[in-house]
Amino acid sequence: MDFHAALGWGLPVGIGLAAIGSGIGLGGIGNGAMQAIGRQPEATAKIQLAMIIIAALAEALTIYAFVTMILLRGQIG
Amino acid sequence: MGLEFLARVRSSSLWVATVAALVMATYAAPLAGLALAAGAAWSLINLALLQGLIVALTGADRRTMPATWRAIAAIGGLLALFAAGWLMLTRLSPALLAIGFGIPFVVMVLKATALLLLPSAAWRRLTKSPWIAAAAVVVLIAGLWVVAGRAAGERHGAAHTESLAGAVRGGAGAHEAARSGEAEESGPQKFPNVITVLHRLAPHAPLVGFLHHYEVLVFSLGIALLLCLVAWFASRNPQMIPGPLQNGAEMAVEALSDFFTGILGPRHGPRFVPFLGTLFIYILAMNLFGLIPLMDSPTSSLNVTVALALIVFVYAQYVGFRELGLLGWLDHMAGSPRTAIGWFLVPLMLPIHIMGELAKPISLSCRLFGNVFGEDMLLVAFASMVVVGVPFTRFSIGIPLHFPFFALALLSSVLQAGVFSILTSIYLLLMLPHDDHGHEGEAHAQHAH
Repeated sequence: MDFHAALGWGLPVGIGLAAIGSGIGLGGIGNGAMQAIGRQPEATAKIQLAMIIIAALAEALTIYAFVTMILLRGQIG
Repeated sequence: MGLEFLARVRSSSLWVATVAALVMATYAAPLAGLALAAGAAWSLINLALLQGLIVALTGADRRTMPATWRAIAAIGGLLALFAAGWLMLTRLSPALLAIGFGIPFVVMVLKATALLLLPSAAWRRLTKSPWIAAAAVVVLIAGLWVVAGRAAGERHGAAHTESLAGAVRGGAGAHEAARSGEAEESGPQKFPNVITVLHRLAPHAPLVGFLHHYEVLVFSLGIALLLCLVAWFASRNPQMIPGPLQNGAEMAVEALSDFFTGILGPRHGPRFVPFLGTLFIYILAMNLFGLIPLMDSPTSSLNVTVALALIVFVYAQYVGFRELGLLGWLDHMAGSPRTAIGWFLVPLMLPIHIMGELAKPISLSCRLFGNVFGEDMLLVAFASMVVVGVPFTRFSIGIPLHFPFFALALLSSVLQAGVFSILTSIYLLLMLPHDDHGHEGEAHAQHAH
């Protein structure tokens, strides 16, 4: 398999894997935040803030994969 | 008028020279920027030494030992400076050095003119009504335009034959460049905006070519201008019972101020609210601009997001230096070693902290760019999914499948603007001396990337 064909297979699969990974991560973050809000509704604002920050960090990994895909897309033969 | 005036001149010309040197180094050549900076630095040091000499010779404590020593030191410094100037003249471009040398003097003349002009009766009459002032500005700009056009015309006439010869020689290269430009155009397909439509209608008009080249800049500056206008109109005539615009602006400002003060604490918060709030509003406006038909969101270009992230990076480091001092900043970078184990871990912690600092702008810019750009691509993909050609006609019908995703785009635009500004505020918080209460959670969040 040459380089271009490998990219043609690898990029979509890779971005899908990245999306699965950060989907699992986001699910865990949301789960934890919802439980915390359920236990302590008065701390909602603080928990939401921390949740958004960590969700942004988890989501960034997919975005990196996406940017890599955009950069390498022109190389697919 | 006096020493305080000179100090103001010094700080202004330092800023002007720094910006000019950076612009030269970026757009012309690094050595040109260096020459400009060296010229300006030479001139500033020269001025400072002269001032020191004059103060030492004419001050109240002249003829005492310290004043004499100061005068001798100033003279020695001037001699060393002249030697350095000779050395620079042999190494760097004399014209740029002279321009850099002239910057403080130009600033001084302009400041003196302003000092003379501002209290005068003519100036007061001119600025009494905004209409007269605006008319004066328009007249001034028109005059500059005419003068600059005439000067450029003369230079153009002289350079014409030369450029013609160059064009004949570089013909093949120009074709090559044009073709690669076309290839770049056909990269990611986006929704058409005003500028691309204009470019398609008139591909060879120079103004349209300029706009097309600086499309992102045009949009981002336009949005900045729009926000300035809104802010001006909202705060122009504040009322006790606010109108709708003032009410909305006050609500936004209050909400942002409360939010960021809540993160940064009441001690540091109010100082950074203007910066963080501006960042939020500006990024939000840029993200949402892509949803308006025939407009484009500048944040879907990596250039804009990198610029924003670099601003945040430089500002956070500046705040760190300002608050902690050089030693405190180094201590912070080394992970604040207080125990033997802490000192033992410094070789490990220092690279980690430095890499963490450098990763911040990269992750900030890539996150914003990736989200906004991906959202645009998603909309385009769904919009172009069902385009059906009607049989026997030249028309085609598109089913707007991308409408549901506008809601998603709205949500993620707000979220990304919020994430950018929240992360910025947390980077600032990590830089500030945090003695009042621990921020262990945020510290861990920062190490996570």
